[in-house]
Amino acid sequence: MEVGPGHFLLAKLDDVARWAQSSSVWPLTMGLACCAIEMMSATAPEYDIGRLGSEVFRPSPRQADLMIVSGRVAQKMAPVVKRLFDQMADPKWVISMGACASSGGVFDNYAIVQGVDTIIPVDVYVPGCPPTPDGLLYAVNLIQQQIREGGRGGLLARA
Amino acid sequence: MPSTQTPPLTGTAIDPPALRPPIDDAAIERIAPANVHARLAELKREGFTLLLDVGAVDYPQRTPRFDIVYHLLNLRKTKRVRLLCGVTGTAPKLPTATDLWKSADWAEREIYDLFGISFEGHPDLRRIQMPNDWEGHPLRKDYPLRGPARERSPRPAFALKSNVQAGTPPSGRTLEALQQQIAKIRGEDRSK
Repeated sequence: MEVGPGHFLLAKLDDVARWAQSSSVWPLTMGLACCAIEMMSATAPEYDIGRLGSEVFRPSPRQADLMIVSGRVAQKMAPVVKRLFDQMADPKWVISMGACASSGGVFDNYAIVQGVDTIIPVDVYVPGCPPTPDGLLYAVNLIQQQIREGGRGGLLARA
Repeated sequence: MPSTQTPPLTGTAIDPPALRPPIDDAAIERIAPANVHARLAELKREGFTLLLDVGAVDYPQRTPRFDIVYHLLNLRKTKRVRLLCGVTGTAPKLPTATDLWKSADWAEREIYDLFGISFEGHPDLRRIQMPNDWEGHPLRKDYPLRGPARERSPRPAFALKSNVQAGTPPSGRTLEALQQQIAKIRGEDRSK
């Protein structure tokens, strides 16, 4: 991308699409456990996820691009999470936030799914118990980077 | 009269015993399953208008194996009664208390879900916490903690109890080794 002398922009259409897309990764309003508190903190002024264009937590999976699995996934919640993921429109991304979502964490028992990647594909794992809001922001950054550098998304994204 | 269930107090407790009054507000009654509904109805007539909770306890080594515990409160006299009823067997049954107190509904469903104890006459005895197609009753002591399917699979190394007890970090390295590594990163020489 380059800015020409007459103040216009020359770019590949796909690059523009990716630039716009990566700057508006809208998460789904879904908090599962205590990690959701840190997720809310990331939306608050102190950390301000809005700087990345991800402040618009959509109440409907149809309008969301990003699922932040923020907390342990109970066996009873697993079909709901899977269904919400299926209802999200392509292209879509998933962040597995914290130890419990990534591996079951301390809950090595019958009631908790041992890692959300056993039911849905995960793009970025955030370590921590819970991760700091900075960790979550960095995960969103990584997803933006994936989009800009030719990952899923762009003009040719599957509808 | 102090309850028999008052925990033993020792001199090492954080709070001095004087600050911790014995639990003396609940009269504890033990009753046979055949009489439990009649006794509950009687207590309700006496003024115990509130059923706070119905719980269950599993004592696997004991007969009867399960204790069903009814917590009752008399609001006028501010008195409490704890009614214990022992049942046994793999699928025990008790008469429901939902006809006396509506609050027994979900409590009895929870006991059915987690302990497998049925309540005859309950209007809607379904599972309440576990998924509907769940097999087994997880709060029984003989239910495997990690679930029947995964019980025999190896635990991850960081979850092994021996590591926790020995105070070893998850990496398996000792505290000394970790401190040396940190010192190395900082460029300090700890050998002196």
